Amino acid sequence: MNTQRAIEVQDLHKDYGEIHAVQGISFDVCTGEIFSLLGPNGAGKTTTLAMLSCLLEPTKGDALVMGHSIRHEPMAVKAAIGVIPQEIALYADLSARENLSFWGKMYGLRGTALRERVDEVLGIIGLADRQKGPVAKFSGGMKRRLNIGIGLLHKPQILFMDEPTVGIDPQSRRNILDSVKELNRQGMTILYTTHYMEEAQELSDHIAIMDQGKVIAYGTHEELVKIVGELDRIDLMISGESERVLEQWRATAGVHQASAEDKKVTLLVDDSNLVLPRLFEAAVRSGVRITAVEIAEPNLEAVFLHLTGRALRD
Amino acid sequence: MKMLDIALKDLLRYLRTAFLVVMMFVVPLLMTGIFYFAFGGQGSSAGFNVPVTRVQIVNLDRPPAQSSRLAFGEMLIEFLQHEKLATLLQVTIAPDGASAREAVKNRSAEVAVIIPANFTSAALTPGEGATITIVQDPARTLGPGIVKGLISQFVDGLVGAKIAASVVMEQFGQRGIAVQADTLQNVAVQYAAWAVAQGQSRGEGKNPALELEAPPRKVEPASEKTVVAGLIMTGMMLFFVFYTGAGTAESIIQEDEEGTLARLFTTPTLHSVILGGKFIGVFITIIVQLIVLLIASALAFGIHWGELPAVVLLSIGLVVAAAGFGVFVMSFVKNMRQAGPVVGGVLTLSGMVGGLFTTGIQNLPAAYETIQLLTPHGWALRGWKLALAGGGVSDVLLPALVMLAMGAVYFAVGAFLFRKRFA
Repeated sequence: MNTQRAIEVQDLHKDYGEIHAVQGISFDVCTGEIFSLLGPNGAGKTTTLAMLSCLLEPTKGDALVMGHSIRHEPMAVKAAIGVIPQEIALYADLSARENLSFWGKMYGLRGTALRERVDEVLGIIGLADRQKGPVAKFSGGMKRRLNIGIGLLHKPQILFMDEPTVGIDPQSRRNILDSVKELNRQGMTILYTTHYMEEAQELSDHIAIMDQGKVIAYGTHEELVKIVGELDRIDLMISGESERVLEQWRATAGVHQASAEDKKVTLLVDDSNLVLPRLFEAAVRSGVRITAVEIAEPNLEAVFLHLTGRALRD
Repeated sequence: MKMLDIALKDLLRYLRTAFLVVMMFVVPLLMTGIFYFAFGGQGSSAGFNVPVTRVQIVNLDRPPAQSSRLAFGEMLIEFLQHEKLATLLQVTIAPDGASAREAVKNRSAEVAVIIPANFTSAALTPGEGATITIVQDPARTLGPGIVKGLISQFVDGLVGAKIAASVVMEQFGQRGIAVQADTLQNVAVQYAAWAVAQGQSRGEGKNPALELEAPPRKVEPASEKTVVAGLIMTGMMLFFVFYTGAGTAESIIQEDEEGTLARLFTTPTLHSVILGGKFIGVFITIIVQLIVLLIASALAFGIHWGELPAVVLLSIGLVVAAAGFGVFVMSFVKNMRQAGPVVGGVLTLSGMVGGLFTTGIQNLPAAYETIQLLTPHGWALRGWKLALAGGGVSDVLLPALVMLAMGAVYFAVGAFLFRKRFA
């Protein structure tokens, strides 16, 4: 992998009065890699991306994007990046072609170059046959594709993608993930934010896990999983209120962390063979029935649980 | 260039929004059409009448002794008191200029006409000039406009008479024939009488120079209907132009909520260019709307909006005022939920205060007519009424300048607040 740095983030802060949305984060993104910012909602991922896109001015710190300071050379930074926002940002009363043409002009494309690039992008996002229809009549997946297409118009060196798969069907999600891989294969550096552990794991060369405005872990997937060490991860499905048994399980010998989401409880334990019988005993005492058990290798979810004591989805 | 791209994109979006198109073009024409047909009635002369204008005339004219047969001051009074004009003018004689001015001041008359002492003399003597003074109630536009038009027509006849007399004298002089003063007076009198008769007969739809075999057509009622349509259309046009100003400025808030404004800010485009493009979009949209409404209403209702230079001047003032006012109002709006009530409420209230809904009502209280001028709507209404009444550039200059000034101030404040918000 290329070790040339596409992005260098240096002690970046963003405060909103008393609220410290981003608290001194630093990381590097190498040219040609997919880098994910992983964290729950409110972790500061979108704020970080907004600062790197020059939408928000940092309270403190700086970042270099393709060697340009986000504080002092915002126009150079903006010319180097393509931004795909979390929410679909399109003109619904214009057609796909009109949208692409307008946004292309905003990136400085004109005339034949603009027309050819619009045609190319329509082909890439699979909307060539629907280019003249109003976007308002598009399905959610088609809008997502067009939303991505706009970010590709000027062939940016770096693509910022802010949770592009939120709220879409599995098939569209699969298409987007495949597109991200394909764009990266063609040489584009991608900074991707998500709160889906599976996406970060599947796509990323490097991952920074964020929580409460800080980067709490940083590395490749393998490096991050090693943080959990030799611990086992146990996922339990239960019937009844998880609160009734969760505290007892946390106090059980051999249990390091436990978190619950609805009927699913995830635990990090020393040795699952030894701990599992104790968990069943505590469940019986609490009047909770365990309906399913899964023992798995530690993953990013386990890493987050290990580091914060909370599930990634909390 | 990017600024224009943003503006044209906005214009395209507005023109594709059925609601906006209806509000911009259809509703103002429809409202005027309803009044036009309800009160005017196609083919009917009954209904809405142009109110009678009260005129006080002071005749200071002292004809020269040698032309005792001619008294153009009296002829002008007779002309204005002609029975054909009785439905338009109520003419009374005032003893002096001061009392006539006072009558206008205390609103017992809309117009005072002061005929100078050398009026007849100036009409007959080459090189001599005279000025008829017309004093008008500043809040009235239609009646004074009619009086001005009639007097201009009369004076045009006299000027023609003067030229005719001069030509006669010159032609005879070249042939060595001395022309008697009586002969010259006869020429002048006959020409003036012809010119005045022509002017009067124009009102009956026929020209004395032509013998038409077709049955005479009465055009006066249609003309009244057109005047009424013009007044109502003015109110509707102004209200909906201001509505468009606010409605199009609302797109800044809309784009902010829809995320496209933030996305624009991520492109290598200066914030000032983006906001500038949005503002230009407001101006262009209003210009398109205004042009369409002026032409469509002229074609549909036969409204003559006035002299082209005056209309252009007023249009510039109106575009700046409406765009500035719209940007100003929307700069205080936080989100689209607020936008609807604010646009509706502020524009309806300012339209009411500005007199846009009472254009067809005459003799409104003086205080109300003064209050109207606190709003750009009131000045716009005043200017367009003057243009409708035949006012020229000099007549509409003040309202146009006030609209420009008010619009510029509103725009500066609104643009400052938007820039501050999105800096």
